Amino acid sequence: MMTVWTVHSSIFSFDMVKLFVKSLVYIFLILLALELLVRVFHLYPEDSPRYIDNHGVEKRVPHFRGYSVTGNRRQNFSEYRINNQGFNSYREFTPSHSKNELALIGDSFIQGFHQNYYNSIGKKIENRTDEIEVYEYGYAGWDLADQLHLIHAYSDDFEKIDKIIIYVKYPMDFQRPDYVPNINRIRTLNSTTFKIRDNIKLLYYASQIGILDPVKNIIIAQQDTKNNTNQSKKADQATNRELDNIYIENFEKLLKKYPLDKTKTSLLLDKRHTSPTFISYCEENGIDIIDFGFRFEQSKRPVTLIYDKHWSNHGRSLVAQSIVSHLKL
Amino acid sequence: MLFNSVEYLLFLPTIFVLYWVVAKFGNLKIQNALILAASYIFYGLWDWRFLFLILASTLVDYMMGLAIYKKKQEQKSGRFFLWCSILFNISLLGFFKYYNFFVDAFVDMVGLFGYPIKSTWTLSIILPVGISFYTFQTMSYSLDIYYKRINPTKSFLNFATFVAFFPQLVAGPIERASNLLGQMTKKRTFKYNQTVEGLKLILWGLFKKMVIADGIAPMVDDIFANYGTFSASTLALGVTLFSFQVYGDFSGYSDIAIGTAKLFGIELMSNFKFPNFSRNVAEYWQRWHVSLSTWFRHYLYIPLGGSRVSKLKSVRNICIIFLVSGFWHGANWTFIFWGGFHALAYIPVFLMGRNTIYKNSVVAQNSLLPSFKEVGQLFATFAIVTFSRIFFRSESLTDAFVFIKRLFAQFTWEPYHHPMGYRLVDYFVLLAFFVVYEFLIRRDERSPFKFKSRVVRFCAYTLVIFCILLFYDDGMDRSFIYFQF
Repeated sequence: MMTVWTVHSSIFSFDMVKLFVKSLVYIFLILLALELLVRVFHLYPEDSPRYIDNHGVEKRVPHFRGYSVTGNRRQNFSEYRINNQGFNSYREFTPSHSKNELALIGDSFIQGFHQNYYNSIGKKIENRTDEIEVYEYGYAGWDLADQLHLIHAYSDDFEKIDKIIIYVKYPMDFQRPDYVPNINRIRTLNSTTFKIRDNIKLLYYASQIGILDPVKNIIIAQQDTKNNTNQSKKADQATNRELDNIYIENFEKLLKKYPLDKTKTSLLLDKRHTSPTFISYCEENGIDIIDFGFRFEQSKRPVTLIYDKHWSNHGRSLVAQSIVSHLKL
Repeated sequence: MLFNSVEYLLFLPTIFVLYWVVAKFGNLKIQNALILAASYIFYGLWDWRFLFLILASTLVDYMMGLAIYKKKQEQKSGRFFLWCSILFNISLLGFFKYYNFFVDAFVDMVGLFGYPIKSTWTLSIILPVGISFYTFQTMSYSLDIYYKRINPTKSFLNFATFVAFFPQLVAGPIERASNLLGQMTKKRTFKYNQTVEGLKLILWGLFKKMVIADGIAPMVDDIFANYGTFSASTLALGVTLFSFQVYGDFSGYSDIAIGTAKLFGIELMSNFKFPNFSRNVAEYWQRWHVSLSTWFRHYLYIPLGGSRVSKLKSVRNICIIFLVSGFWHGANWTFIFWGGFHALAYIPVFLMGRNTIYKNSVVAQNSLLPSFKEVGQLFATFAIVTFSRIFFRSESLTDAFVFIKRLFAQFTWEPYHHPMGYRLVDYFVLLAFFVVYEFLIRRDERSPFKFKSRVVRFCAYTLVIFCILLFYDDGMDRSFIYFQF
């Protein structure tokens, strides 16, 4: 009886082991084939390296060209070009008193990796105006503190520039009252984990389309349970008015450190998603506002991309139209 | 817990390994206990309160089964206990699924006779997931004992495992005790080939759900939500896509269920046999949701006399099973109309004596391609079935009839653009690939990757997974359509 059981047991183990080994081999080979397919069809995005320059400004490493890919099946596929100054643009930034220049400062929306660099908001503005050079100082992840620090750090350049437009998202860009370079972000992006992700294109693609999100969400949910701090409770309890006060206070502190030249600076924003208290504050303090929300609201076509909240080509055209209309006033 | 969720991806391998470790010790009770515990966890994660219902249904039918059998042995009919079982299950369904429908219907009817009443009787009832499936399964157990097709099991554990077996608990296939319970009472041993077949079916099911059904769902949702603003060509596109969506969704679920069961050494019945390749409506019903249509055939149509009575009574029987089948799907007049429409489409086929001619064959049985006649038959059947889906998908009868009116009153052609900008051509190519592939494998619904060459099989696996990566949409509601039934 014992012998029969042992024989049975060993046969079972062999089949199970065979299953596991063959499954592992198949999984490995399929992953390899998928990696190949993702590379052949160029489904993965290419992220250009970042660094913090001598002025403490976080930006891209100059002279880097590549392709940005968003969504499944390359639904948004665009080329970018990092110029000498470390920003994605079709032109180099050479401000002078003899020319007419416009600086467009912002986060990933202005950085414009979701469009071909030669069809950016800046280019659309140039096409609609005469003899204006548009310098797009866009960098993914920037907030108002980053943007004001940039103007301060490169004050010689910005002194020559005729018009400055800062794209802000309220309240996300108003969360801090002072500028500190985000060294951690650069460290994270240069970490081994990110290097692995960048090199395994299948992983990068899977992460981009959100297929790994359920796993990430489980991990995040566990961390959130652990880090259920009092801060979030306070934030929940705070009224909108109190929060507005905090954001406006942050804005004031930033302006104190990095004064704005109100004669040539405007804030570009979507009024629909901005607190009326903040709008009133700007109006009372003579801070010029360009609202593109109205045009977005009127639009019958999608203003954002598929699988991505960044502006579509149509959305970017509307933003450019809003700026041009404002410039002509 | 959904089959297409990361939780299930962790749950299934864990239970699979535990199950076969337990099996190594040769103890059937522990094996079934593990499956039962896993099934209750699987089901309880939706809402733990539902567990009481399934436990009640299990307990009642277990006892009624034994009671019916005892009466039969005493040469008595046992009809009383059979009716207890049926009434209990119908009451569960009636309360949780149909109570509000009957209240509303009563109020409407009274209103028609000039006595309008303001109803305060409707209740906020959550429909327990899978209730239509497991109540039918347990009822079939009592009926089979009553008709002496099977003997009852004395083991409550075995019976509870049969009722709650998690792969098919929430959306079928609706199993018969003669098939599934028999397997629950025998020790299962690990079979390599069976497990591999199961994994292949799971992969194919995931493809049908995540790529076909979820891929086209945003367009279907958009067209049906805004049908009043679209041209007739767009409405036709919407209902055609829905036909593919509901097939991909439900047959995908069934494939995953059958595949998962195979991993545990259990064989479930086939539920879908390529219904899109049916040559008439009768063949369609031999291929679509087979476990339900055969349930109605065995437990309703045949007891009513089936086709062995006069033509008139047979037609009556057909009408009854289709109307009941429609009503089974949901407490809405749209489903009853859907059933009625299918009855109307089936009756001419029946009267011409063509309802069983394709029972044992597939399209292009002995050739590579179908004949022109067969192509015509396939298109005609698909068109009829797709048209009926308007009732199936619409929120109300008014919506369905307005949809139909817009479809036929003035046919205009306009290109459709999804508001999110989805590239439609991608989905057309995908559906063309899907139809051609299904045609190639049409002879065996349980072997989606039946290629002799290992290289071809490997390429097929890779392509299917690649399609999942290409069409995965992280903004989708991933639940299965038939969960609502």
